[in-house]
Amino acid sequence: MSDIALAADLAIIVVTATAVGIVARKTGQPTIIAYILTGLILGPVLFDVVVYDGLVEEFAELGLGFLLFLLGMKMRFEDIREILRPITNIAIWQTVLQTALALAVAWALGFDPTEIVIIALATVFGATPIIVKILTDKDEITSMPGKIDVGVLIVQDIYLVVVLALLGADSLENPTEIATTLAVIFVMMSFIAIFSLASSRYLLPRLFREVADNKDVFLVVAIAWAFLFIAIAETFDLSVEVGAFLAGISVAQLPYSTELEDRITPITDFFILVFFATIGLQLEASELLFYWREAVVASAILMIGNFWIMFYLIDREGFSVETSFLGSINMIQVSEFSLVVGALAVGQNFIGTEVLGYLSLMALLTMSLSTYVIAYNHEIYDRVAPWFQRFESPEKGDVELPTYTDHAVAIGYDEITERALPMLEDRYGEVVVVDRKTDHVEALEAEGRYSYVYGDVRHGEIRKAANLSAASFVLSSTVQTDINRVVLSELDADATAFVEAERIDEARELYDRGAAYVVMSTYLTAERLSQYLEWYLEDEAAFRTAVERDVERIRESSGNGEPLDRPGVEPATDGGGDDD
Amino acid sequence: MTELITSLAVLFVTAGVFLLVANHFSLSPVPFYILAGLVSGTFLDGAELIELAQWGIAFLVFVFGYRVNFGALATVVRDGEVAATTQLVVVGPLSFAIGSIYGFDPINALYFAVAATLSSTVVGSGLLEREIRDNLVHGRLASSVHLFDDLLAVVVVLVLSAEAVTATAITSKLGYGVLFLAAALFIYRHGYPLLVRLTGGSDELTMMGSISILIGFLGAAELAGISIVVGAFAAGIAIRSDDTSSLGVINGIESLRDFFVAIFFVTLGALVTVPTVETLVVALTLVVLVVLVNPLVLALAFVYEGYDPRTAFLASTSLNQVSELSLVVVIQAVLLETAGIADVVFEAVILAAALTMVLTSFTREYEDVIFERFVEGIAGDRGWKRIDDRSEVDPTLSDHVVVVGYGRQGRWLVDACERLGAECVVIENDPVLWEDVRRECPNYVLGDAMTDRSWENARVTEARLVVSTVDHRGVSESSIEAATATGTDVIVRAGSSRKAVELLEAGATYVSVPNVLAGDGLIGLLEGVLDGKTSVEELRAEHRDELDVLERYGFGSRIPRDELY
Repeated sequence: MSDIALAADLAIIVVTATAVGIVARKTGQPTIIAYILTGLILGPVLFDVVVYDGLVEEFAELGLGFLLFLLGMKMRFEDIREILRPITNIAIWQTVLQTALALAVAWALGFDPTEIVIIALATVFGATPIIVKILTDKDEITSMPGKIDVGVLIVQDIYLVVVLALLGADSLENPTEIATTLAVIFVMMSFIAIFSLASSRYLLPRLFREVADNKDVFLVVAIAWAFLFIAIAETFDLSVEVGAFLAGISVAQLPYSTELEDRITPITDFFILVFFATIGLQLEASELLFYWREAVVASAILMIGNFWIMFYLIDREGFSVETSFLGSINMIQVSEFSLVVGALAVGQNFIGTEVLGYLSLMALLTMSLSTYVIAYNHEIYDRVAPWFQRFESPEKGDVELPTYTDHAVAIGYDEITERALPMLEDRYGEVVVVDRKTDHVEALEAEGRYSYVYGDVRHGEIRKAANLSAASFVLSSTVQTDINRVVLSELDADATAFVEAERIDEARELYDRGAAYVVMSTYLTAERLSQYLEWYLEDEAAFRTAVERDVERIRESSGNGEPLDRPGVEPATDGGGDDD
Repeated sequence: MTELITSLAVLFVTAGVFLLVANHFSLSPVPFYILAGLVSGTFLDGAELIELAQWGIAFLVFVFGYRVNFGALATVVRDGEVAATTQLVVVGPLSFAIGSIYGFDPINALYFAVAATLSSTVVGSGLLEREIRDNLVHGRLASSVHLFDDLLAVVVVLVLSAEAVTATAITSKLGYGVLFLAAALFIYRHGYPLLVRLTGGSDELTMMGSISILIGFLGAAELAGISIVVGAFAAGIAIRSDDTSSLGVINGIESLRDFFVAIFFVTLGALVTVPTVETLVVALTLVVLVVLVNPLVLALAFVYEGYDPRTAFLASTSLNQVSELSLVVVIQAVLLETAGIADVVFEAVILAAALTMVLTSFTREYEDVIFERFVEGIAGDRGWKRIDDRSEVDPTLSDHVVVVGYGRQGRWLVDACERLGAECVVIENDPVLWEDVRRECPNYVLGDAMTDRSWENARVTEARLVVSTVDHRGVSESSIEAATATGTDVIVRAGSSRKAVELLEAGATYVSVPNVLAGDGLIGLLEGVLDGKTSVEELRAEHRDELDVLERYGFGSRIPRDELY
């Protein structure tokens, strides 16, 4: 207890950030803004109550590690394969052009040469947390502009990892040194990258297959994996971030990564808050506002400039004008990584804190403005569409991306759902099964007939992966009322939901929440069983026939592969021995 | 890279390797975390890790606080009252005395007694998950005692944070405890819903808000001079919510808990040095108390309450491990330097905890064998007399149906028998249902269906049919054995087709697999809806009416929610 007082700084940061976050939320600002503001409020700029050192510094570094781990985990090559080529083109040219623009602006504003280089490297456009967060909230993340943006952000991340590694190097005195540093970084990164990809192919599938069924073990082993890479990166003198990112990529290619993503996200949220706050903590008011004119001018030029760069690049790849417009206008804010890069550069004494202040102010300005722009992106497009029609041409158009819609979702693959699946497929065309058990998923994979999502429906990412909100029918074989509640609340009003419950009061509640039918297997079983008893007592021949038919079916379903004894939703409270 | 991150890398990589081993052999992770700590201890940097470990304690108790189902407290009192009190009154003083014999001062003897008396939640309920899920009586009993012990642990921590063992000091701590509880309830009623409204459904912000509430309570606990455990527990109560938005928040908090709790347990292991002979002796004494004495006392108490020997034995063997909250109690004592815990006691408790947590997995593997080999014989004759006393079967009964289990399915079957004019005998081992059985059934045997005497009393040799509604391997096998000996038909129950096939091969006439039987009914309904023959509104209205009827005629659940956590 006396010891926890040492953590008081952290406690103050978390509580203040929450309070500021609530205010930000009310005004439609992203939480990142609130966190940076928290740092400014608590740091030397305003009250000067929290110091940047000790545990605060460590938590900030952990936050960065987790953010990169999470980002790596989102790099699913499969997701962007169909549009990989245009996206790579866009991302590479965007990075080049926008770095050039930032360089020119910084030069025009009169910074000195090292500062110009750092500013140009650090001014990356497109803040992943902001874009992903708002587009997800608006349900546009899987739309074509969303896909393009995410794809570009992912390619950008690789660039950022290189920049971070470069800045982690001890000196950047002359071109040869930069070149050697770069070469060393590339060799080491490729080494770890090869290890990461090789393990994602040969080692991890077996390793994670073994632990995936146990939720808590799964999470800790994944974290251990990240730390293993961090330790390896350390031996090679690379940064924590590089290690964490590569660990993330190797996990991303596994079928189990969606759920893991949802479990790592809160840990990242917690630590990254501290990180963003420390940015504010390191600034003096005088430093933040030292270059305020420059920051305002640069923000304006770069936002407009970057919009046109992106628009030109997406348009060139032959997407529709609307897609190009939306894809570009979403990306007009400075990336949170410019602050990471800036902070690192300050740490290495490449730039003074005034330049970090310039970068921070630019981030604050562009991020806050862009949240409104993204929130109203369609409205803005409708206004300016007539003018943009001039870019329209007949051969432009979007590739169709496959998504589940008007489909049936089965939650848990057990003996009940197994028999319902063919009927659902007949009626709805497509069936997606969500299951938390590796052997169930393997059985589904072997059968190859239905799509599946591996993971616990308890997690938002999993429900999103099955596109639950667009489903026409849901059959849930979990008896956990908290999950069924969420499923019912996310479903479309027209969708039909069959859910399961254990008790009558729970069944009533689920009906109140819109269930079409609540399966109560105890009663259904009791009813059948007493029918059998009646036959046994009154009409033995009927009993023998019914029993024979059932036994045949039991033998049949026990024969095909893995036992489907429990629905793969954890922790299942189904079945029931003494049935109460 | 900072030192903390290097330490964490060592910590997690070691823990990860040990976890893989634990997972491979389906053992509890906690002792393996402690082992990982023992192994990597020399490479870990103490001070900052201990701070993170405190976050681990806070999150552990925080999650416990919101998971406790206070609605089930009535169940706990009903099931656990006698047993838990006996445990407290017998094992507590006994181990205190042993501690004093070892020459500990009163406070250290008390820590020793706490560790010997309380049993674990995470380990215990993880292993018990299947029993609790299947509503087996011993699972319910054991988890009732767990909950009782856990709540007690919070009170113990509260009392032990008193600087002096005087009535005023302790009363003032308890007073703070009540204040904290009141504050928690107030936030639960008014504060938390407000927070959810303010954050506008953002999981991230609501989670940070919940953690802020936790921090607030921790700070208040510090100010009041009481343990952070109490603060964290109260904070857990404050953020309980049934709202659909809470699911994401709770997922988030549990991720954080898993992260910090891993740090906590590994750090704990790292604090143990190479044990001395004295430490080993004390640790082994603790192990004996926890593995043998405590379960014995509990088992006797359960039998006294009327449970059959098997249930009593199985329930008490699930309670033979040191509580992880005892670990919290001792580490609190270490951190609170004034509390004066001796190194010997501290290290012995940690070692004993690791050992008993591993042991418990093994005893549970072989508990049926142990029971049949050693315990059943001792309990034998007296048990028979009890079953005889509690049975009420017409001595001329023949051509009847024996129904095992008086749960919802059992009741339905008894009802069907009555309707069809067939005689039946009910076998039920849960004392909670006995009143109902006595009132509603003319013939009954109140005892364990896995004991031959119960079957003799049920006149199975004269019976026409045996139907077991209990999804338990042992009960199914006993039913088959009892029935087939005289060529009686027997229907048993199984959770899956694979197990059903095994029972069919063992001689069952039929095996009811709920998923198969319920599936039949469901498929019919589903077909109707998909073809448009039945409208959803009709289906819903019809089933709701049906449920009302069921409840009116006593087919609802008679035992309140069993999940205590």
